[in-house]
Amino acid sequence: MVAEELSSEVMRISWGPQHPMSGQTRILIDTDGERVTNLTADIGFTHRGIEKILENRTFLQGLIPMDRMVMADTANISMGYVAAIEEALGIEAPPRAQYLRSMLCEMSRINSHLYAFGLMAEAGGGYPAVFLWSTVDREIILDLQEMLTGARWSYSYSIPGGVRADIPKGFKEKALEAVNYLRGRFEQYWEAWIENTLFEMRSRNVGILKAEDAITLGAAGPVLRGSGVPLDVRKDEPYAAYGELDFKVVTKEACDSLARLIVRAKEMEQSLNIIEQAVEELPPGPVRKVVSLFARPKPGEYYSRVETARGEMGIHLITDGNMQPYRVKISSPTLRNLWVFEQMPKLGEVLLADIPIILYSIDPWYLDCDR
Amino acid sequence: MSGRAEEEIIRTIEKAFPELVEEAAVLQKKRISVTISPEGLLEVARYLRDQLGFDHPISAGGIDFMREKLLQMVYYLMSSEKRIMLMLKVNIPRDNPVLPTLTQIWNAMSPHEREAWEMLGICFEEHPNLTHLLLPKDWEDGYPLRKDFKLRGKGVGS
Repeated sequence: MVAEELSSEVMRISWGPQHPMSGQTRILIDTDGERVTNLTADIGFTHRGIEKILENRTFLQGLIPMDRMVMADTANISMGYVAAIEEALGIEAPPRAQYLRSMLCEMSRINSHLYAFGLMAEAGGGYPAVFLWSTVDREIILDLQEMLTGARWSYSYSIPGGVRADIPKGFKEKALEAVNYLRGRFEQYWEAWIENTLFEMRSRNVGILKAEDAITLGAAGPVLRGSGVPLDVRKDEPYAAYGELDFKVVTKEACDSLARLIVRAKEMEQSLNIIEQAVEELPPGPVRKVVSLFARPKPGEYYSRVETARGEMGIHLITDGNMQPYRVKISSPTLRNLWVFEQMPKLGEVLLADIPIILYSIDPWYLDCDR
Repeated sequence: MSGRAEEEIIRTIEKAFPELVEEAAVLQKKRISVTISPEGLLEVARYLRDQLGFDHPISAGGIDFMREKLLQMVYYLMSSEKRIMLMLKVNIPRDNPVLPTLTQIWNAMSPHEREAWEMLGICFEEHPNLTHLLLPKDWEDGYPLRKDFKLRGKGVGS
């Protein structure tokens, strides 16, 4: 990494690389007294070369490493690759599969947002109570995912042509029950943590990111929407069944760390609405079109965008007529948001004690930016 | 398939830089692909940001076309107002891949250019911090995303 000379007033603190709260990375914090002068995110500790691996796998095999890119958000991540493959093969999944995909994507979003919520609470002093609350509530989502897909994480449910299986008996009732229960729980979250004066004092006006900065620095997802920019791929370019489902894009004008947490909290409520709609309006029909395991798409290039829990993910797929992709470029949201994080001391005053709050308000997932 | 706003953008770019645009096409709805010659990269990028509203940088990455002896650098840009994505592409010779850095236009391109440098060996002139991003700092085994990179293990048995 960097080995330049530091001036004698500046102290460099290395946070990580062994699990700075979550994930493997090293955050270098240059401080002058209490004030942070420079931030560097030293990433790459979990680089696995997923882009290179994908070049050596058939399209279906490639779903397995893709799933592992962001485990908490499996459905959304694999959705991007599946959408690109379907576009390349010129196939479209049946409507029932599209609804199931949207439903699972939102479960995955809740799972991921709850984890982010817990970590942010931990950063703000809400450990263990709030962190454990969100962990217990994640369990409900994970159980539903297991019932539907057979696994709690990394389930490769969406595949080119549809989904792997239809909903099992009794799933609808269980899903609606879970939605109802979580709705009540999320209300308690507001009282217990988001509107808690203690937390508000720690996070309000901390890590200000104005809308124009969020756009020009390339922020993604809740970070962008927390600055009042209503960009959401689910609305702009509806994929899966999002075009037919009713939901709002949540934005918050406050531009601070608290705003980003509130955006996530409100997005979880929207996700519950989507799950409810998808389960109730599930169209009849098959869930899968048969696609050859060794399908060869026509040579060309395709670009798919999906809204993951951390923001937009882009997959640029280049095919040359073989069973494997020629090149897959993954544009991950965390790499963009970490850049925003690194720029924070240049945008306004950042204090050393605020670093955990700011870092976890952008919800980094280092496996995602390392790929 | 292609919308009018997308074609309008392409027409504007072709009109402004008739000599620099090598290829321009609407890939699908809301996706534009523009290939330009490398000497005009900075100029076109600045025009895209200031005149056409491509203010939201997404990422950048390279592709190795070994058979054609080319490396292609692709910049993924968004217009936050029009919600249209543009892929700005430049082809450079594989044996001498040098480009000006676009961090002076969008500073968020910095990590993506560092990645393209270590993964494909594209050199970005005047990049403020052209160091390893994902690979170890003492990495000297070549460029992993090039097609002639040998995949093999290290240590016992390899």
